[in-house]
Amino acid sequence: MMYLQLQDLLPLYFEESKKQTSEIWGKDLRFEKGEMIKIVAPSGSGKTSLTHFVYGTRSDYSGTISFNGNKTRQFSFENFAGWRKDHFSIVFQDLRLFPEQIVFQNIDIKRQLNPFYPPEKIKEMAERLGIGKKLESKAKTCSYGEQQRVAIIRALMQPFDFLMLDEPFSHLDNVNRQIAMQLMIEEANVRGASIILADLQRVDFFPYTKIFHL
Amino acid sequence: MLSFKPIKPLLQTGTKASSRWLSYIGLGAGVLLLLVSVQMFINLDQLLHKVDTRKNGFDFISISKKINDENQTIKSVFTSREIDELKSKPFVDGVAPLIANEFRVHISAQGIFGTDLFLETLENEFIDTVPSSFRWTQEQMIDPLIISSDFLEAYNVFAPGNNLPQMSSETASRLPILIECSGQGKEITFQGRIVAFSDRINSVLVPKSFLDWANQTLGQATEHGATRLFIKTKDANNPNFLSYLDQNNYLVNKDKTRLGRTKQTLQAVFSGLGIFGLLVVVMALMLFSFYLQLLIARSRDSLQLLLLLGYSPNWLSKNVSRQFIPVYIFIVLAALAITQLLQWAFHHTVMYDRPELTSTINWIVIVIAVGLILLSIVTNYRLVRKLLYKLY
Repeated sequence: MMYLQLQDLLPLYFEESKKQTSEIWGKDLRFEKGEMIKIVAPSGSGKTSLTHFVYGTRSDYSGTISFNGNKTRQFSFENFAGWRKDHFSIVFQDLRLFPEQIVFQNIDIKRQLNPFYPPEKIKEMAERLGIGKKLESKAKTCSYGEQQRVAIIRALMQPFDFLMLDEPFSHLDNVNRQIAMQLMIEEANVRGASIILADLQRVDFFPYTKIFHL
Repeated sequence: MLSFKPIKPLLQTGTKASSRWLSYIGLGAGVLLLLVSVQMFINLDQLLHKVDTRKNGFDFISISKKINDENQTIKSVFTSREIDELKSKPFVDGVAPLIANEFRVHISAQGIFGTDLFLETLENEFIDTVPSSFRWTQEQMIDPLIISSDFLEAYNVFAPGNNLPQMSSETASRLPILIECSGQGKEITFQGRIVAFSDRINSVLVPKSFLDWANQTLGQATEHGATRLFIKTKDANNPNFLSYLDQNNYLVNKDKTRLGRTKQTLQAVFSGLGIFGLLVVVMALMLFSFYLQLLIARSRDSLQLLLLLGYSPNWLSKNVSRQFIPVYIFIVLAALAITQLLQWAFHHTVMYDRPELTSTINWIVIVIAVGLILLSIVTNYRLVRKLLYKLY
């Protein structure tokens, strides 16, 4: 069974005292594949840091993060590339799209890396999330809410064991949040995967199995 | 199969392509200079190795002792110790003394001409043209001769002016010659017959058995020694060999080594050009590496995002650097084609299709061209990889 483990984790720039108040920093946690994890994280609690530590884009932390018992700190660049391609998908808070590419290309660049779906699926999902007409527009011309949905669809184009979401709905209205959440839950179920959702407040329509306060 | 096509537009090549084109042109010029230099180097080698009068791949040159004011009273013959020393040198493959007659010789031919002359003998191995008839035994009254082809040439030059018939080498071979030898109060006349002409020897050669016998019978000298030596060597232009001769005050036939000296100079010129070409290639590759660094710096955000999405840095390095392989191959092949064209033109027009050379370029030039393609591909790949790993 796939699992993600956080042991005694703390950003180097945080005080040791953070370990006392947090349910994640300084704790020994194990997330099994298939669990729905909710992390409630107010501003400044280190939510985005945690996302980057787990994804391997930053390493200024103490403690260990391991995937199936393998410490990610010891991953080579190639290991990380493979891990991101096959096992771990993410929606960043700052989205990270190619601004000059059209929406379809932005999604397809991820899809072709390890295709879980044929390209037709992009249009289907885009229409479901209400951005079907935006597929041929450059990403930089889309509103922030539209870009958020592009990033969500992009994250669903690959196989994964864990899907990590960092404030994925900040610019969506309630209806669109619900539609997007529903799509992600369906996609996680197709893969038997986990969702780790980190947000400022509780998202009511996320059926979490575990909740942590950062 | 992962496609690089959607990735390509993410690479910012920049609006100004001038630095890229400059490096392409530089690379092309450098490669061309290098390839042409190598080809000319090989041409010179082929050309100048084959014009020497060679027998089984050896050079034969005659040396004598330098005669100057100090030593002209001393007999300038080679001692057996000096001959042994020469023989022991690594650049000498054989030494044979040229033995001269020690009695008076007068040669005449049917009243056409008559002159006092000298005879020499040399081991057969050292003579370029030795017919089977070049033998003599004591019962024989006809003595075979090998004369320098220069003699015949000289005769044919002055013959018309003296109302004498010009002669082909065949006619000369049929000419009965009288050889009157005298010494020790004796006089013996032989019939001579020219059996061959030599390009290598500038005198009249007789079989060794004849001269040994005649020197003993008619000769006056008590001690024998050779004033000239024939040396067999793999390379008459070997600098060690030449400096040894200079040190010992031995005179060498300069003509034989002049070609070698020209060759040395020209090869030095082309080596210099080749090194210059190599430098230009290195500079062009460096310029190109700056261009690559610029490209990667400009595309930094896109490349970083690709790595973030899970693109393998190895795969990206390979594919980014692969973009330039066709250009590299095109440049080197174009330079190779121009080299081929130049070689053909050089052989056809300057060298009048001389058989020593070929109109096609040498295989070494092709190997170097392939090597250059591989070199540029490998250096590019390594550079891109290094830069991408920094982005991680």
